[in-house]
Amino acid sequence: MRTMGVKGLTLYHLKSHLQKFRQGRQLCKESTENSKDVSCAAESQDTGSSSTSSLRLAAQEHNESYQVTEALCAQVEVQRRLHEQLEVQRRLLLRIEAQGKYLQSVLEKACKAIEEQAVAFAGLEAAREELSELAIKVSNGSQVPFHTTKMTVPSLSELAVAIEHKKNCSAESSLTSSPVSAALMKKRHRGVFRNGESLVVGHETGWVMPSSSLG
Amino acid sequence: MRVPASSDSNSGGKNLVVYDEPTSVLGLRRSPTPTTVEEKPLVSAASGGDNQFPSDDHAMRSMDWDSIMRELELDDDSTPTLKPNFPPPAHFAVVDPPLPVFPDQLNPAEYGYDSNNEGGGGFDIIEDLIRVVDCVDSDELQHAQVILSRLNQRLRSPAGRPLLRAAFYFKEALGSLLSGSNRNQNRLTSWTEIVERIRAIKEFSGISPITLFSHFTANQAILDSLHQSSSPFAHIVDFEIGFGGQYASLMREIAEKSSASGGFLRVTAVVPEESAVETRLVKENLVQFAADLKIRFQIDFVLMRTFKMLSFKAIRFVEGERTVVLISPVIFRRLNGISGFVNDLRRVSPNVVVFVDSEGWNGISGAGSFQREFVSGFEFYTMVLESLDAAAPNGDLVKKIIEGFVLRPKIAAAVEAAAVNKRQGGGEMTWREAFCAAGMRMVPLSQFVDFQAECLVEKAQVRGFHVAKRQGELVLCWHGRPLVATSAWRF
Repeated sequence: MRTMGVKGLTLYHLKSHLQKFRQGRQLCKESTENSKDVSCAAESQDTGSSSTSSLRLAAQEHNESYQVTEALCAQVEVQRRLHEQLEVQRRLLLRIEAQGKYLQSVLEKACKAIEEQAVAFAGLEAAREELSELAIKVSNGSQVPFHTTKMTVPSLSELAVAIEHKKNCSAESSLTSSPVSAALMKKRHRGVFRNGESLVVGHETGWVMPSSSLG
Repeated sequence: MRVPASSDSNSGGKNLVVYDEPTSVLGLRRSPTPTTVEEKPLVSAASGGDNQFPSDDHAMRSMDWDSIMRELELDDDSTPTLKPNFPPPAHFAVVDPPLPVFPDQLNPAEYGYDSNNEGGGGFDIIEDLIRVVDCVDSDELQHAQVILSRLNQRLRSPAGRPLLRAAFYFKEALGSLLSGSNRNQNRLTSWTEIVERIRAIKEFSGISPITLFSHFTANQAILDSLHQSSSPFAHIVDFEIGFGGQYASLMREIAEKSSASGGFLRVTAVVPEESAVETRLVKENLVQFAADLKIRFQIDFVLMRTFKMLSFKAIRFVEGERTVVLISPVIFRRLNGISGFVNDLRRVSPNVVVFVDSEGWNGISGAGSFQREFVSGFEFYTMVLESLDAAAPNGDLVKKIIEGFVLRPKIAAAVEAAAVNKRQGGGEMTWREAFCAAGMRMVPLSQFVDFQAECLVEKAQVRGFHVAKRQGELVLCWHGRPLVATSAWRF
């Protein structure tokens, strides 16, 4: 009390202060059941004898401060657990999101592969038919009439555009990995874009065309 | 019908293969817009199983073995003298597997299963199944066929309660075992099937915590081990990479933890030969994902066949890396034995070995009894189907997709492995015993792992799942029975 140096401070003042302090503490201590009863008991004991049992008071204070520490520890523990669980929840959400994003992109790439495969197949299929038609005509010795091929040209250019579009879109074009189909596509593009009316493919594969006004 | 096709691009124009009847599953003729797979996959396979497209994949994406092997660096560079002996590409057929069209989906009114057998019928079906198993065990294949055809009459489709659906899938597995139709190891998966599988996995992850539990628990165990050292270099050896989904969340964590320097991750995946197409897809996607997260990433693939011959010598290890080995019962089944594997593992001395058992593997490898493994597998998958029913009470189509593309292949693989291994097995120890005998001891899983699992189960909002600790493992249970068990070990 000397160290506190407050004038007129008596033991009585101290005890009443401590009592108020302990009452305040008790509200916090509600969460820890076991210490509550003890502090109640301590309270009632204390209000009884305020002057005589200083030793007992000291012991009780020691007891109570120990309980207070315990209560504080428990609180800290509870808070830590809460915090950790929040952290876990946050991480879990991030992880679920990452997983979902990844699966979605795998799915998209696989679907794209199917589409590319289909377009490429369509292109090759069309080309094959064209070539076999031409082969028949050439082998028959007749001139290749341009107008008969006009019907198929629009679809060819359609295809070419579609393929070109796909090639530009996809980072790794499957078409380029197959030299044959790629070469064929290139030939087709050149033919169609330069002169939509005639079939240049035939020219480039070395067939004899009656008129070589093709670009 | 197979059409001989040369993958050789040198033959120029001649390489355009001659098709018989290009009516494809995709319904393509001349239009550049194919039917997308958004349509119900199970019903759209109207063209049935007969329309094979042997060479479209072949010519288009050069999915022949040579180029894939070269791309994935699985060819002679790595193992000069032990190049896997693949048949020449001309014999390869990329076959579109018949999509699982079950009769009752095409015409539900026509095919109901015999409702007379509903009540007590479940048990005599199981008895019959076990009889087939016993016949296979004692090589009485004719008799097995007889009982099986009887079963085929009674189980026409996977419908009804979990027990009956499981019975159907196990019956199918036995059927293909007997007819030897799953011997065709040279078949590459078609893109359609791959898309269906990915979709099924997505759906499954969305409704049931099973997949995410396996991935996230293993990932956290890996992360905990990686954080113990200051070395940022991690190397994971994975024996069942699937579509690589696990690495998405792992990479996310690594990126977050090492935001300053950028993360490092190296993966070596041991893959079966028939997954060549999936493998390429996985590589593309993981590389892309890592690049987006600014992680320095590298992935190598080793063929299962190569691993069987060379064991861990087939895998490149680098000094200074923290090595993580991720295993599941799959590798033990393939190797038909644990002791050899663990002894080799010891020589590698990884920092942590994470074992994820999501197959209800009772852990007795090669213990000889086909019947016992069959029965325990049957019980396990019945339980999985039960949990699926609880997770998607009204989602019939979703369940069919998941069952068809996730569970059924697993069941088929499990049955086949059990049948094959029984011939070679004989009184081995449980995997725990084998691990301990090799000198491994368990690493306790952190509290984070526990919390995460509990959170996950809560999020799933399906009553019946819960998390438990069992002898140091963290186990996802369904009404008290284990579904997935994860544990971490070290030497």
